[in-house]
Amino acid sequence: MIGELTRRDLIKAHAAGIAAATAGIALPAGAQPVPGGVESLEIKWSKAPCRFCGTGCGVMVGVKEGQVVATHGDMQAEVNRGLNCIKGYFLSKIMYGEDRLKTPLLRKRNGKYAKDGEFEPVSWDEAFDVMADQCKKVLKEKGPTAVGMFGSGQWTIFEGYAATKLMRAGFRSNNLDPNARHCMASAAYAFMRTFGMDEPMGCYDDFENADAFVLWGSNMAEMHPILWTRLADRRLGHQHVKVAVLSTFTHRSMDLADIPVIFTPGTDLAILNYIANHIITSGKVNEEFVRNHTTFMKGVTNIGYGLRPEDPLELKAANAANPANMEPTDFESFKKFVSDYTLEKVADLTGADPGFLQQLADLYADPNRKVMSLWTMGFNQHVRGVWANHMLYNLHLLTGKISEPGNGPFSLTGQPSACGTAREVGTFAHRLPADMTVTNPEHRHHAEEIWKLPEGLLPDKPGYHAVQQDRMLKDGKLSFYWVQVNNNVQAAPNTKNETYQGYRNPDNFIVVSDAYPTITAMSADLILPAAMWVEKEGAYGNAERRTHVWHQLVQAPGEARSDLWQLVEFSKRFTTDEVWPAEMLDKHPDYRGKTLFEVLFKNGQVDQFPLSEVDKSYPNNEAYAFDFYIQKGLFEEYASFGRGHGHDLAPYDRYHQERGLRWPVVNGQETKWRYREGYDPYVKAGEGVKFYGRPDGRAVILAVPYEPPAESPDNEYDFWLVTGRVLEHWHSGSMTMRVPELYKAFPGARCFMNADDARKRGFNQGMEVRIVSRRGEIRSRVETRGRNRMPPGVIFVPWFDASQLINKVTLDATDPISKQTDYKKCAVKILPVA
Amino acid sequence: MIARIKRLAAWVWKILSTPAATLSLAFLTLGGFVGGVVFWGAFNTALELTNTEQFCTGCHEMRANVYEEMTRTVHFSNRSGVRASCPDCHVPHEWTDKIARKMQASKEVWGKIFGTINTRQKFLDERLRLAQHEWHRLKANDSLECRNCHSSVAMDLSKQTQRAANIHTRYLLSGKATCIDCHKGIAHELPNMQGVDPGWHMPDELEGDVLPSANAVDELRKVMAEAHSSGEKSLP
Amino acid sequence: MRCEDSPRRIILRSFLAALAVFAAVFSTNLAVAQMVRELSGPPGGMDMVPAKPMPKWNVDDVRKMRAYPDQPPVIPHSIEGYQLSVNTNRCLSCHKREFTEGAGAPMISVTHYMTREGQMLADVSPRRYFCTACHVPQAEVQPLVGNTFRDMSEMGVEHLGGK
Repeated sequence: MIGELTRRDLIKAHAAGIAAATAGIALPAGAQPVPGGVESLEIKWSKAPCRFCGTGCGVMVGVKEGQVVATHGDMQAEVNRGLNCIKGYFLSKIMYGEDRLKTPLLRKRNGKYAKDGEFEPVSWDEAFDVMADQCKKVLKEKGPTAVGMFGSGQWTIFEGYAATKLMRAGFRSNNLDPNARHCMASAAYAFMRTFGMDEPMGCYDDFENADAFVLWGSNMAEMHPILWTRLADRRLGHQHVKVAVLSTFTHRSMDLADIPVIFTPGTDLAILNYIANHIITSGKVNEEFVRNHTTFMKGVTNIGYGLRPEDPLELKAANAANPANMEPTDFESFKKFVSDYTLEKVADLTGADPGFLQQLADLYADPNRKVMSLWTMGFNQHVRGVWANHMLYNLHLLTGKISEPGNGPFSLTGQPSACGTAREVGTFAHRLPADMTVTNPEHRHHAEEIWKLPEGLLPDKPGYHAVQQDRMLKDGKLSFYWVQVNNNVQAAPNTKNETYQGYRNPDNFIVVSDAYPTITAMSADLILPAAMWVEKEGAYGNAERRTHVWHQLVQAPGEARSDLWQLVEFSKRFTTDEVWPAEMLDKHPDYRGKTLFEVLFKNGQVDQFPLSEVDKSYPNNEAYAFDFYIQKGLFEEYASFGRGHGHDLAPYDRYHQERGLRWPVVNGQETKWRYREGYDPYVKAGEGVKFYGRPDGRAVILAVPYEPPAESPDNEYDFWLVTGRVLEHWHSGSMTMRVPELYKAFPGARCFMNADDARKRGFNQGMEVRIVSRRGEIRSRVETRGRNRMPPGVIFVPWFDASQLINKVTLDATDPISKQTDYKKCAVKILPVA
Repeated sequence: MIARIKRLAAWVWKILSTPAATLSLAFLTLGGFVGGVVFWGAFNTALELTNTEQFCTGCHEMRANVYEEMTRTVHFSNRSGVRASCPDCHVPHEWTDKIARKMQASKEVWGKIFGTINTRQKFLDERLRLAQHEWHRLKANDSLECRNCHSSVAMDLSKQTQRAANIHTRYLLSGKATCIDCHKGIAHELPNMQGVDPGWHMPDELEGDVLPSANAVDELRKVMAEAHSSGEKSLP
Repeated sequence: MRCEDSPRRIILRSFLAALAVFAAVFSTNLAVAQMVRELSGPPGGMDMVPAKPMPKWNVDDVRKMRAYPDQPPVIPHSIEGYQLSVNTNRCLSCHKREFTEGAGAPMISVTHYMTREGQMLADVSPRRYFCTACHVPQAEVQPLVGNTFRDMSEMGVEHLGGK
């Protein structure tokens, strides 16, 4: 009967229902049949991490008829326990934008590739042929340093790992950098310099244990909404908990702040040194901890702003050439150094309320208060970002508030695998997997051994970092360039004068792999359509060292292929004779005549897991394409770098069962707090605390001063420009702008501005204005209301909107140590649209 | 000391009480009149000067806190460009009430001198108390300063969202509630509202309690409403 | 300079060229659909473009159908000027269980009373306090780019009375 219900049956059933209801009797269940049977209602649910920020929420993904039909927060995921933010709840729609790229597109004229040609659909074969020709031409004419790649903290772990092998070992170029350079580099450098190991010692469990939270240049309420729910849960649920928020303007996170601190852009450095001074002068130094677990250093000063070397600011900077230098010092000289930073002086410099500054300092100084410090781009996108990170570690180290539940500095991340891929796998221009560097001969040797490659193959000079890549593209020194999973023409600073010029430089061949026609894709010469998120098997690592794996759940549209497939397939088009030096092949004739695919991926390790190990209930295009379980092979080879060295990962298969595990995973157990006995298996009994990343086991307390930003407002350019994100859109908006609900929630960028400033200049709310810097200008609309409440003299413009490319206006100044761009500080003027 | 003051007072009294011998009555009358006009004018000018947004925001306390907040609201910029400045809402328009409010304001001068709210922290600590003063004042005068511009009878319900129209009909037009009951925090940020019920949420004992109204039409409306509701009540 | 051609013109030209070709061979529009469409972005790579006016919010108070049951409902009214801070929560002053009858607003879902551990509380869980993390109003604009997402109700199930 079920499934063959006729209209008449229905009417009868309906009538019976009415009759039954009137008579007050219950109908038997069979009277409400499901046409097609209950199986027809079934949805196949599988776990995956969210595609967006670095929080790493677990989501359940529902699939029906080969399409994602629903997503919701995973109750079993410890990170978010069933919650998602608005973006996460709309993950179901990110893959279905109408303009998905479905076939490779090449600029052609008269049937042949031409830089000034028009995009035409081509086959993968043709695309790779042209691409390989161009790559070989550049290698031959300009050498390996003219070949480069710009990757991403949104790459899966396997993709980042395959890219690092292909670039460094295949093409022998270190010109590989991730967009995480724009996002995390300052944090990563400071971790390495302070603790000798990257990434936070604590984890998200700190949220449920802290008595105070301090946000340094982070708007978690919008950028990490799910972590904000954990923080709000703690603050609103416990009377004694305090929240301090520091920023250059008032935003949604300030709505929960007990201690709101608004400071003049760049002066956070002075506040940090004031707090150190306060801790020392009020006698709250944890002397035992400082004596046993720290060492004092002094950094060089006047280190420049990472601009082009001929810039007057760089010529003036005494230590622009060696900004990272530090020398040992001691507690007494550190004490003397920070004694300059008195409350009065710092309040004056920063414009912050001295009362709040003092309350903030007391949070850190109070030995009975557990403090969790959190930061993101306010700290990292800072011309002194590495210093800012250091100066915050100083506070936690002076008080010993570190590496235990509720106490610790916690660096949040912006991308889903900024940690898992960009940092851990070693896709930075100077890094190798597991915190190793290309400049260290032992590290290179170790990598060559694991990769089963000839000794001396890996190049020893760090490659071009993100901003440098753009400059080198423009200058014609970098000429073959492959961009994956990012939208750098929209994201890079001073993009009109630097980045875009480089892409359109006739010397260069630019390849962009993306799912959507972003402005970066449209600036390329060859566009490769990419599979995204659950259209491929993947693995991400979030901000708390949690590695999370997912299955391929659906098929990508058309001929779109994953970045992993693209990287590995492309490697088949090169033989060692074409890319490696002849002397090396003479010394190691076994490698002669082999393709890069054979030496890098079919090397007996990556291909050691047969297809029989692939879970048959899910698709896995890459495994079937290459005829082995390539994801598992790459993961296991990569994991061998870190196992036994404090970066231990569990066996790959286990990650398919878990909602992620936090490394180091030793004896099947994840690690929540590193460097402390009882929590970290690498700290032996009796050691208490040990920062084992450094040879002396001690963390660095660094004495560095306040130095001003690269560009500050003056009479002509009289506003500070701060850029950033909004809750509803993620980064350049290439995914979220295609979800109708998210688009309608925030349909375009606007210029957040102080209402009084606007009125004094005669700008109406909603009026169109020009935002002009020394580098470029855009048009936007004045917004004097809403979530961001600007102090006089500061404007905020989000960068998600491709029709308002605010990065035409920003300055390409970077932290000279981390090379991370400062997107938070430059000078602009605002003019009416004539 | 006291003796000296007494002597001075006696001298002044003597001068004032002795009739003028050399001036004509006309001169004295006219002079008194002109002097009065000048004094009155000066007084009112001074009064009006203190009754401007510029004067109010001359103090850091007002500018950095309440004024900053107000500039982000609909009372600062809106569709038709109507502006409400500080005194529009916080100073009664009628003269006697205005003088009364201005005399109260002398206390605020005291606060300024002693720095009662001279930091953001102090202001936030006092915010609930300060807000309550204004809520009570507006509640007591049936939101008179709101109604100076927003007459309830002049509201075009068809131009409001359905939700707003329903709520206004149910609570405002019936006289069960006054503007400030619901519209707290429309021009400034709110203090901790724990324990403060949403305005439309009437405690049972207040349901049906009618507030004094601002004008005759509203009064009539209320009487009508009452008549209707009592009519209903009389039904079995 | 040719190489500085704006992407829009490139797209437009290639699109037109493709259209012409396919029209000539009476091809279906299948191949045309493979062409790069006009983007979300600026009409020309680095050209300066006017900023679109700020749209108005949807304020019709009509509940919008969810794209799937797990989706947080969007807000069919403006929330401009609503204060949502440690001091006050304007949303809850109507949508909290105790106030829904008087306010006529839909009650927040039962899941919002649940702690991280899944225990039900007597009132809204503090982790759910900041409503706008999941619930957003909608501007009166057309989507920037269409979306081909198919509703699950169009799949598998035969519609009642559909035959």
